[in-house]
Amino acid sequence: MRVVHYLNQFYAGIGAEEKAGIPLEARAGAVGPAKLLDQLLGEGARVVATLVCGDNYAVEHQQEVIASLVAKVREERADLFVAGPCFDAGRYGMAAGALCSAVHAELGIPVVTGMSEENPGADLYREALYIIDSGTSPAKMREVVGKMAALGKKLVNKAAVGLPAEEGYLRRGLLRDQLVEDTAGKRLVDMILAKVKGEPFESEMLPAQFPPVPMPPPVKDLSRAKVMLVTDGGLVPKGNPDKIEPRAATRWGCYSIEGRSDLRGEDYEISHGGYDPRFVQEDPDRLVPLDAARELEQSGVIGKLHHEFISTSGLSNPLSNTRRLGREIAEKVKKEGVDAVILTST
Amino acid sequence: MQLTLARHPIAELRFGASTYLDKTTLVIDREELGRLLLADGSLQEVRFEIVHPGESCRAGPVFDIVEPRAKEPGCSPDFPGVLGPPLTAGSGTTRVLAGAAVTVLSEKSTDESRGVTGRVLEMSGAPAEASPYSSLRHLVVVPRTRPGLAKHAIEKAYRLAGLRCAVHLARAALGQPPESTHPFEPVGPARKGREGIPRVAYVGQIFSRQRKPAVDEPVLYGLNTDGMLPVVLDPDEWLDGAILPSYHSSIGGAETYFYQNHPVILELYRRHHAGDLSFVGTVATVAGSDNFDRDRNCRAAANLVRWVLSAEAAVLTKYGGGVPHADLAETARLLEGYGIRTAVMVTDSSRDRRVESALLFNFPEVNAIVYNGGNGTRWTLPRAERIVTPSAEMAELLGGPIELGAANIIGVTNQQGASRLRGVVY
Repeated sequence: MRVVHYLNQFYAGIGAEEKAGIPLEARAGAVGPAKLLDQLLGEGARVVATLVCGDNYAVEHQQEVIASLVAKVREERADLFVAGPCFDAGRYGMAAGALCSAVHAELGIPVVTGMSEENPGADLYREALYIIDSGTSPAKMREVVGKMAALGKKLVNKAAVGLPAEEGYLRRGLLRDQLVEDTAGKRLVDMILAKVKGEPFESEMLPAQFPPVPMPPPVKDLSRAKVMLVTDGGLVPKGNPDKIEPRAATRWGCYSIEGRSDLRGEDYEISHGGYDPRFVQEDPDRLVPLDAARELEQSGVIGKLHHEFISTSGLSNPLSNTRRLGREIAEKVKKEGVDAVILTST
Repeated sequence: MQLTLARHPIAELRFGASTYLDKTTLVIDREELGRLLLADGSLQEVRFEIVHPGESCRAGPVFDIVEPRAKEPGCSPDFPGVLGPPLTAGSGTTRVLAGAAVTVLSEKSTDESRGVTGRVLEMSGAPAEASPYSSLRHLVVVPRTRPGLAKHAIEKAYRLAGLRCAVHLARAALGQPPESTHPFEPVGPARKGREGIPRVAYVGQIFSRQRKPAVDEPVLYGLNTDGMLPVVLDPDEWLDGAILPSYHSSIGGAETYFYQNHPVILELYRRHHAGDLSFVGTVATVAGSDNFDRDRNCRAAANLVRWVLSAEAAVLTKYGGGVPHADLAETARLLEGYGIRTAVMVTDSSRDRRVESALLFNFPEVNAIVYNGGNGTRWTLPRAERIVTPSAEMAELLGGPIELGAANIIGVTNQQGASRLRGVVY
């Protein structure tokens, strides 16, 4: 197994902050912590090159450093790329994360790094990478590099990787399926017994944490505002021209309501698998309240109703996808000069 | 009310000239059984096949799986409200052909969200390891309904075929000595002598109003659940035929078999008998169709747990997808507000395998969560030597090799508590 190790100028023994501007350079064989890695990897594996870059240089010339580092790792025909451990050194952690991501994406080889949980690089890269939890103390170097070596070998050998507590990496926030001995029913009863008796128990899922959405400022003058109707209830024209999926939708559509003050069931269908659609099918205004909005427009409560409504289907959709849909819809609304949106859901 | 299960373990099913139980072998007269199922006129034809664990065999699409059970004469009826009057289930002795199953197929996949294959019974390989159904001996019922029947009439025909078949087979055990008998100690909020032992209730959703039930769709004592508010049930009612799954399989899957062998209720009973907890009863509820419906149902369920069952703790399971997930969490939140501790079981909602997409609630007090997996598991099923299915097109489709997700292999992601596939955070 051929291993390439990345270090910053400090751990490579070149110097401290005064040497943080040095560009990327390659040393044959193992230097500094790479020697320890070489030793802990044991037989059948060796560090063939140590790549070193100053912390400032790596951050300030990131694209250039990535390109030349990837080229060097390729040249070395590496089976594994290791960076750090970076402990709580922020610039070092950011560089290690970026370099590991690039090597993995471009060369497809396993990568391992190490950081403390507080390192800004950990925040940014913990989902994408295996980051061994190094803590903040370099005194733990041997222990940390040992975990990096063990995990790196597993990845190269395509062996099963255990859970964060077993392997020592920072929790990535991902899910995988595992066949376990006890049924869900037994686990449920075990959990309630522990909880009601005040004993420790481990929930199988972390609590959801949604960042608060700040309340937008009020519409200054509704009687002059351009208002748009947006729904995630899946109302689409007959034939579903944009092929909006009834669950986990990846698309949204924009449909004209020009010159109309009422939506008729025979012109529309509902692409949504999560609610009883009969009442909307009977009268789509129940979901997209065009009739009521026209009245508000005519009586001057709102300035103008935008001549299209936007629709998608909000069901079983991962947040990574709904964020994109939301962003795209918001861009469209902004582009149309809309001042206020009435958002209807089911 | 006291239920006793009389177990007759079944090691072999085979066809013969009459239906009888010979120790652990169940011999089935398929002509007699066919006549029984064809009698009501909804089915035009019915075939039977026997399927064994470990066999290179695939059957589908599965409509339902039922354990063969029959009541002793003089007890509550078999499947009350469906095969008999809606008298309270769960009294007297029920004969159980343990290790056997009646598996009813449908002519096509009944649920769009399952795709064209529907749910498949797989008897060997990795998927079989993950499904509790693969270790059973199945009599597979392959029905053909009369042309021109409405959808609800077709589904009712499948339902009745499965239940009638299961009762008919288990009647072979009447009058024979069971291998063992299992009486359930009566439970409830008024039991004395268990002071100081945590009082635990079970709250189970049995339907989700995301879909309108068919008028004659039997779910609770034959009722289709329309207009239903949460109701207190003795646990034995669940085990003894009062509740059936909806025609639409829920996202994780729910089958009659795991109402009869309810994993949560049986575990609560086991721990009750061991003196670890005091099982005070159950509430059957539904997931709402809108916010008012949700508030009504969740509050009524939580109030029954508090005032009728006087529980200190409750375990909750769901039926269906996202709306039920949210209703389950809201019920748990209300219970926690009453000082009643909760643990909940949810199905896998994360299609992108990110923890952030896993839950549809963020109530800090609802912090004891059992998480069933599924979205991360797909298998390529090899060509099977034997395909049991109603039509040539389905045979072609299911023949294999075919790639299917965990939720399409019946039993793997069951949300009644039988699943062993867990979502693990890493």
